[in-house]
Amino acid sequence: MRTMERVSRLRLALAASASAAVVAGALAGTAMAQDSVTLTMAAPDWPPTRFLQEYANANYTSPSGREVKVELDFIPWPTFYERVAASLTSGEQKYNMIITDSQWLGAFIEGGYYREMTAEILADPEFTELVADIHPALISAYSVYPHLTPEQVKEHPFPHPDGHYYGFPQFPDTYVTFYRTDLFCHEGEAAAFEEEYGYKLPCTYEDWQDVDWDKYADIGEFFQRSAGEELAGEVLTEDFAGIGYQAGKAYDFSSMAVNAFIWQYGANIWDETGQPCAQAEGVVNSDLAVEAFEHYLDLLQYMPAAVHTGQMDIFVLNDLYAQGKVASAINWVGLGAPVLDPSTSKVADVTAFGPAPGLRADDGSIIRYGNQGGQPFVVTTWSTDTEIEEAVHFIKWWLSDDVQWAFAEAGGQAGRMSIMYREGYNDLSPLNRAHVEMMEWQRDVWHIPEFFELLTYQQDQFDRAITGQISAKEALDLVAAHQQRVLTEAGRIQQCN
Amino acid sequence: MTQASDSMAQGAATDRPVANAAAARRRGSFVERNRGPLLVTPALVTLFVMNIFPLMWSFGLSFYDYRLTRQDLPRFVGLDNYARMLADPSIWESLQTTALIVAGSVGLQMILGFFMAMLFQPIFPGRRILLMLVLAPMMLSYVAVGVFFKLFYNPNFGLISKLIEVFQGTPPNILGDPVGAVLGIIFADAWMWSPFVMLLVLAGLVSVPKYLYEASQIDRATPWRRFWTITFPYVRSLLLLALLFRTIETFKLFDTVYIITEGGPGTATKVIVQYLYRVSFQDFRTGESSAIAYVILFIVIVLTNLYLFMVKRREQEQ
Repeated sequence: MRTMERVSRLRLALAASASAAVVAGALAGTAMAQDSVTLTMAAPDWPPTRFLQEYANANYTSPSGREVKVELDFIPWPTFYERVAASLTSGEQKYNMIITDSQWLGAFIEGGYYREMTAEILADPEFTELVADIHPALISAYSVYPHLTPEQVKEHPFPHPDGHYYGFPQFPDTYVTFYRTDLFCHEGEAAAFEEEYGYKLPCTYEDWQDVDWDKYADIGEFFQRSAGEELAGEVLTEDFAGIGYQAGKAYDFSSMAVNAFIWQYGANIWDETGQPCAQAEGVVNSDLAVEAFEHYLDLLQYMPAAVHTGQMDIFVLNDLYAQGKVASAINWVGLGAPVLDPSTSKVADVTAFGPAPGLRADDGSIIRYGNQGGQPFVVTTWSTDTEIEEAVHFIKWWLSDDVQWAFAEAGGQAGRMSIMYREGYNDLSPLNRAHVEMMEWQRDVWHIPEFFELLTYQQDQFDRAITGQISAKEALDLVAAHQQRVLTEAGRIQQCN
Repeated sequence: MTQASDSMAQGAATDRPVANAAAARRRGSFVERNRGPLLVTPALVTLFVMNIFPLMWSFGLSFYDYRLTRQDLPRFVGLDNYARMLADPSIWESLQTTALIVAGSVGLQMILGFFMAMLFQPIFPGRRILLMLVLAPMMLSYVAVGVFFKLFYNPNFGLISKLIEVFQGTPPNILGDPVGAVLGIIFADAWMWSPFVMLLVLAGLVSVPKYLYEASQIDRATPWRRFWTITFPYVRSLLLLALLFRTIETFKLFDTVYIITEGGPGTATKVIVQYLYRVSFQDFRTGESSAIAYVILFIVIVLTNLYLFMVKRREQEQ
């Protein structure tokens, strides 16, 4: 009987211990679960986001004390929009954060997927200070919706009375000129160029600051050589081109460059800040816009043969340049890293960068308006309070001095003015000086939900003009009529007296 | 009372196995009676959830103004999406382009496939290995074929461009020219699918009884007469099957076009499915894209019925 009692007590004790262990384990598990947060982020697959993942893995710890894991879901560029759009609209709620293209803001804000962060910024003085330091062009392109122009942002630094803030710069991009010093600084080529055109072939950064579109056309004509001809003392085995910029049918691979010409000529794309009175017809296809587009098309004759297929997107252009088939190219800073990498580029050791050319003004200065590239972070609406809190910590960490500097050292670019204008910043990478100079000239394409309807049709018509099927005027007339119809149907254009 | 209770309990104890056995029989008979429906139920449920319900849902959506990226509730617009679609010149242009590519590609596939089948009809050394190599293109993925041909057509380094350059002196701008791009798509698709036509025709050719050819030789029939009166009747229905099958498939062509030209230059190779893709997944005009999808579905159903009719006819012939 006593033995039985002992056994019973032992069983009871064991059961109690086991229960206690289970409860303790469960509590510990809950505590751990509460202290651990994973921020899942959709990201385009390219060097700036790869750096973010590696750097965050190695260095990021949340000031909240929670164990925060940042997981980037790398998506190839060509399918990035479709994949993100499919994820958001399907309701799978997979991502807490997205590294988004700025043009998508309207579609996904009005769709209820991107979360406004104005309250979070205002509630945190440190965050406010960081946001106030972001370049106005980036606030305009990445953060505010409805859209405010860089000029409007400059007039009212944070917080703008009409500003609803959503995004924060992950990687601010601009396009700059990539050029080969072995050709542009070659004595024989320089002498031949000067003899033919009567001025110096640009070799240094300062020389490139004086290159307008006319000079760029001369460069294109001068360096356009056929197989068998000589280039810098060597006989070419295949055709060689002088210049290149994006002229591809896919995504926005011609609109970004065409917009630059349009703005430089003083023309405009449809102005979303002028809703509902701003019209598309008469603006998009104005005489100045047509002249600007004709200028863009005129330079294509000096580019690699691929440009006439309508398939010279930013990646094809970068490959052609990196394989030594073109003397200079205007491309995104974000694509500079592979060009400077000897394992992927034949011209890594002879590449230098200058500002992108522009249109010469009457006073002799050069107007260099360009289309802002790069992407901001945004937070999704379904994120929990804890996830939002951690997302804010993470964004603040990314915008902090040391991390912005480290990113710039690794080939990225800072979004904050106090970093990009700091002494020594331009020396961090051969791309930085040109990027910082170009930042002053950035504007952005539309941010409205109808963005893709406008873009895809425009890309089709631009491609028809690029491949010689229609004229610049015909293309812009078609684009203007389409935009007028789509935007009127969407209630964004009305006839105002 | 006690006795009665005992006997009732006894009776109940005796009845229970009987009742259980009866229940088991009933259960068994239910399963046995419904074995067929029970076996097809999972398939039917899957079909309903994965196919029929989405089809019905999207059919409903085709009558609404609805965009997946907006929070606005769907608005009933009746036949507006269909009317809008029919009034849109872009869709007619895409349908024309599709028809052109289908006619060109399927026509080329039929000709090439037939001649390849004729070549492979006789037994010769290495035939089996050669046959495997010829069949390889249709085993490849559309994406791989698209990438291959995009590179082949590249004016800077493309294999086909360089080959043409040998004859004309300058590299051709295949993908920059609307006619060249359409021909480029037709050639790529025909390269991939001619072996399929060959395979079908070859099946017909090998089924021709040899004695018919022997008899025709005795009758001193010309090769053309032999082909027209013996060979062709045996492969005619298979050729029609191949024609319809390939027409349906080419009508739905998307991947190859998307990769080689993205519908360009301009809109020269924008096929109907690519148009649908743009409206659905880039513009997110969900209601309108459902209407377009239904028109495509209707065309495919018509073609499929023709195909099934041909299959039935072939069975009857055999």
